[in-house]
Amino acid sequence: MDPELGQEVAVEGIHTALRQLWAQDEARTNACLINFAVYSEQPGSLRKNSEIVRVLTREHACRALLIEMDRGATQASIRAWITAHCHLSEGRKSVCCEQISFALTGVSRGRLRNTVFAHLSSDLPLILWWQGELSPIFEERLYSVIDRFVFDSADWENPSESFRLVDQAISESSHPLVIQDLAWTRSYHFRLAVASLFDDPLAQQQIGAIRLVEITCHPRHRNSALQLLAWLAVLAGWRTGLELHLAISKKHGNKQGFSFEQKNGAVVEATLTFDENSAPVGLLHIAGGSLDIKVDREKASTHIHMRLAMGDHVTDTLAPAGCDDCALLIGEQLARGGKNSLFLKILPMFREMLD
Amino acid sequence: MRGLFCRHIPDCPEFLLYPVAVIGCNPFPPMSNPFREDLVSRTRPEACTVVIFGATGDLAHRKLVPALYNLTVSGEMPPGVKIIGFARREKTDQEFRDGLEEINRKVSRTGHDDEIWKSFAPNIFYHQSEFTDADGYRRLAEKLDAIDRDRGGKGNRLFYIASAPEFFDDILTQLKAAGLNLAKDSCWSRVIVEKPFGTDLATAQHLNQVVNDTFHEKDTYRIDHYLGKETAQNLMVLRFANAIFEPLWNSRYIEQIQITCSENLGMEGGRGGYYDKSGALRDMVQNHLLQLLSLVAMEPPTDLSADGVRDEKVKVIRSLRKWDTPEKVLKNVVRAQYVKGSVDGKSVPGYREEDRVDPESMTESYVALRIMIDTWRWSGVPFYIRMGKQLPKKASEISVHFKSPPGVLFNALPTGVPGGNVLAIRIQPDEGISLRMVSKIPGTSLRLEPVKMDFQYSTSFGKASPEAYERLLLDAIAGDATLFARRDEVEEAWKFIDCIEHAWQQQETSMPMAEYVAGTWGPKEADDLLHEDGNSWRRL
Repeated sequence: MDPELGQEVAVEGIHTALRQLWAQDEARTNACLINFAVYSEQPGSLRKNSEIVRVLTREHACRALLIEMDRGATQASIRAWITAHCHLSEGRKSVCCEQISFALTGVSRGRLRNTVFAHLSSDLPLILWWQGELSPIFEERLYSVIDRFVFDSADWENPSESFRLVDQAISESSHPLVIQDLAWTRSYHFRLAVASLFDDPLAQQQIGAIRLVEITCHPRHRNSALQLLAWLAVLAGWRTGLELHLAISKKHGNKQGFSFEQKNGAVVEATLTFDENSAPVGLLHIAGGSLDIKVDREKASTHIHMRLAMGDHVTDTLAPAGCDDCALLIGEQLARGGKNSLFLKILPMFREMLD
Repeated sequence: MRGLFCRHIPDCPEFLLYPVAVIGCNPFPPMSNPFREDLVSRTRPEACTVVIFGATGDLAHRKLVPALYNLTVSGEMPPGVKIIGFARREKTDQEFRDGLEEINRKVSRTGHDDEIWKSFAPNIFYHQSEFTDADGYRRLAEKLDAIDRDRGGKGNRLFYIASAPEFFDDILTQLKAAGLNLAKDSCWSRVIVEKPFGTDLATAQHLNQVVNDTFHEKDTYRIDHYLGKETAQNLMVLRFANAIFEPLWNSRYIEQIQITCSENLGMEGGRGGYYDKSGALRDMVQNHLLQLLSLVAMEPPTDLSADGVRDEKVKVIRSLRKWDTPEKVLKNVVRAQYVKGSVDGKSVPGYREEDRVDPESMTESYVALRIMIDTWRWSGVPFYIRMGKQLPKKASEISVHFKSPPGVLFNALPTGVPGGNVLAIRIQPDEGISLRMVSKIPGTSLRLEPVKMDFQYSTSFGKASPEAYERLLLDAIAGDATLFARRDEVEEAWKFIDCIEHAWQQQETSMPMAEYVAGTWGPKEADDLLHEDGNSWRRL
């Protein structure tokens, strides 16, 4: 018995063992709305991910499938454990979610799909959280069984190449594959803040007057900052330098610059500044005409500060900053659902800026 | 800034005095906010000032302000929303904020975050005035403009009348006299009216007249907090987004429908004074329960717009069979009062012994009705409604009882078939849905027993549902009236209720007032009402 992963069982005996697990205690309720699979090639990931699932299942009832793969091993093997994460619901009922953990070694074609995904709870959607770099395991036969593919592009050494693979998966998948980048989720509260500031009709009138965008971010979270910039540009209808046959990006020290063209032909200069002491996204400054918007967040702060200034008219507001922790980010995603079509809309411009 | 925004708007005289952002005369054609795309799937709320009448009361402290705070915490509220509490007591802004903070710490659904409160509280103000004092409203208008000027605001106003009902008329009349009912250019001015919407048809019509003399019907939001509850909203989704239910949702397959609202409280906290003038029928059935009934029984709306849904709801209320004689009322309605008993292990007094209740009161603390809806869909299907105080537990639910299948196969079994399918929709507590089915008991013999498939919001979704007032306030700020009662719905409901009340009043002596022991599920007469049809109340 592993204290975190539970009882080790033979792969062919998983279903029986799960039934026995529930038979032990009739006072517990088995809750499941989704199949939630977590794939990692990082040694020791099973225990770490089990802790994440423990937190996640407080709000998202699921059957969790944890998979750790050692592709470098010479011998192909598979081990499995089962356990349940239980929480008191409203202080009364003990609600539990099943977890099956798999440790796989060696390479055996189709094993992930055929063995692991044979243990899904039927009729419920499959959400796969892929941790780390995409590997050759990520291929058509795998992503054609997934409903939602979650990853964190902040983990990627070569995001350009990885996003190319993701794009390929979207186009090749036999059914609509929803993709979700946790880097995009990290910028959600900044986007919400900007959107709410532009609810002011007078601020809306100034969208065409914007000339300057400044974003400060942590170097590890460049993708979040770029996605935020791409979001602004796409929704405001700005054209990139590429469309204008101009170089759009210039790098200088810890800064990277981009140029866009407004619908009215005016140029918008955007700068990304990388700062080790910044929150993932620390500052977004939008200025032009009489408009000056600042959304900022101190490192590790739980709040963001929003300031809208138009001449004498200034409003300051605090709002929740959301979370940086992966488990909570995943939780936010699961709570929101949807097809993430907005991300697909900004993806081409984001990829353009990545290159 | 002043010149830049105001030079093109000669019909906005104030532009000489104030910048546009402050006075709210937006000279520009309406634009959409491109950055809102896909962030939220609901109508966008706009910054406004919420003026709460009766701000020192329980509703404002325990429900309304915590709801606005929670909306701010969850990022649903647009920046620039301000709150003005309007009440008669002397208080400073700071005293008002302190009182709200103290309660918010105890009741806020999302907990109390000091940092958020620090930025939330400066947007709360207090305005002392009598509800009948015209000068108080003139000062309120000045205060609203001044707050917008100082703290930025567009001039949108939401007036929430949470005072005692006897002040509704005065407040509306004074709002009109002070010109506060009129929206500034490109802004809006809306009113939320709390129940009771009158005490009978005549008073409801009068109140509606006063409201509509002051605000347009499209700007009038009659709040019924039951409709803000997650399960009530889910009723339409359950019926119209699941192909398996709607084909069965008619008299061919449904035997009966029950709607129950039980409370395990009596007249604690001085409630007897209000309740004894109202009673279960007027306090709960006229609004909450008939609203639920109309959601259960309505035809599919043409769209999900406010009027699309409300058009269908009002047709149901219009189709309720009216009882035009006391005999018919007597046959279909049971009223009762509780007598001394025990609830939750504690002894409780009878209704007539309660504080502020007339010892000879003829007000019902319990009512049960058999309602028929004269439509093609519901012909012959009884809808049983019951509401009572001092019942064994607090619960509100709708149960749909399907007809039993033909008994040719299993009726010969010694145990028979244990009842038909029941779809139970729980409004509170444990919001959720369960479906009772019949299953074979494992074993060598063929024995049938009911089993239950259960869905609970709390365990399935984990995340707590927003409070009903959060949803409804946000809808009102966003201009979505779908979950609010329209004038004709309210008046049609009163027409139905008035038939019963008139019969009770006309036959005061001959119309019986049944009794039930506090802590039981109501009087025997209510059980008999269903037994006549071969039915019985669902055990909760």
